[in-house]
Amino acid sequence: MGVSPWQASFRWWRWRGVLPWLLLVGALGLVRWSKGSGFADAYALLSRPFWPGSAQREWIQSGIQLEQQSKLRLLEQDNQRLRGLLALGQASGSGRISAAVISRTPQGWWQQLELGKGRLHGIAQGDAVMGPGGLLGRIQSVTPATARVQLLTAPGSRVGVWIPRTKRHGLLVGVGTSRPQLEFLDKNPYAVPGDLVSISPASTLLPSSLPVGVIQTVDDRAVPAPLAAVQLIAAPEAIDWVQVQIR
Amino acid sequence: MARLHQQPICLASSLFVPWLTLAAPTWLSLSGVGPCWAVLWLLPWALVDGPVSGFIAGLCLGLVLDGLSLGGASQLPALMALGWWWGRLGRRAPPIQGSFNLGLLAWIGTALVGLSLWLQTLLIQFDSSVSWLHSWGLNTFLAQSLITGLVAPLLVSWMLLIWRRLARA
Repeated sequence: MGVSPWQASFRWWRWRGVLPWLLLVGALGLVRWSKGSGFADAYALLSRPFWPGSAQREWIQSGIQLEQQSKLRLLEQDNQRLRGLLALGQASGSGRISAAVISRTPQGWWQQLELGKGRLHGIAQGDAVMGPGGLLGRIQSVTPATARVQLLTAPGSRVGVWIPRTKRHGLLVGVGTSRPQLEFLDKNPYAVPGDLVSISPASTLLPSSLPVGVIQTVDDRAVPAPLAAVQLIAAPEAIDWVQVQIR
Repeated sequence: MARLHQQPICLASSLFVPWLTLAAPTWLSLSGVGPCWAVLWLLPWALVDGPVSGFIAGLCLGLVLDGLSLGGASQLPALMALGWWWGRLGRRAPPIQGSFNLGLLAWIGTALVGLSLWLQTLLIQFDSSVSWLHSWGLNTFLAQSLITGLVAPLLVSWMLLIWRRLARA
């Protein structure tokens, strides 16, 4: 019994016409099932020479920084408005003046900076001095044209701070080394290395919520309360200009 | 024989002490601590000009330098004592000229100034953090005395040579 012409044509159609399409659909189904596997990898491989370089990454980063600065400005404005409502001390940037560092002794018996502006420019004893990153110290004395800054690291320097994460207060005491000592007021400060240390938001003497440093080590066994070593954010060794928060 | 304190140029050279203290050149420091410029100037002055002049020079330098520092501890007593002691050495002992002797005297002088400042700081900050102050004080004490002792043979011997010539003239 021979094969009929209809049957022969069906086989040809099946193998030469339908099967490749079926295979293609199956392959695409696999791609769909694997969330684009193969396609995306191939695209990545082929387009690698055209990926954005460091210049484009910097543009994006500068855009992100600009966005964050804008947000920060808005938050500071909100903060000023709320502090005004609460009748707390102002921490605005409007009362800040820039001053050049004309003498610098961050190590030694006296750890101080000498600024190129003084009483004639509105600087007074006790004003806060800030560098890039945070608080550097306070004005210890002024002359008509200069001001002397007692660094946070200087022996005798004492500034009230708190840890925003745990909301615990402490006293940042200068002990001569580059890392001042944080004396907690509570027996259980719940502080861990890496915690940010800042000025208390209720402070009326210094700019509120100003970053100061990061906790490096915590001595839980110290008496009467735990102690911590704080790494300052603003390094006086590398700062040529500072900002003074005048009151 | 003209005395050093009667020569304006020698008196004017003392202005370098506060100027260098404020300038605090970082390239001339050890562990971030610079030399004790007051000792480097006072040593040749007292050796040439005698104990009374040395004592008064130490007093004047101490007053100026205390005015330029944060306060608390004072350099005044140590500088006055050193001025008197070095003045007596210059008058009664054979002339001191060797670089090693000058370096040793400067090292001892800086150590005395440092010890005085350290003790005063410990007394002022007696209430807390004594162990922390020990590490800082020891570091500053050693670094400053060493760098001053190293600089002194170069600087002090040169100043001593010039001032002895001026005093003989």
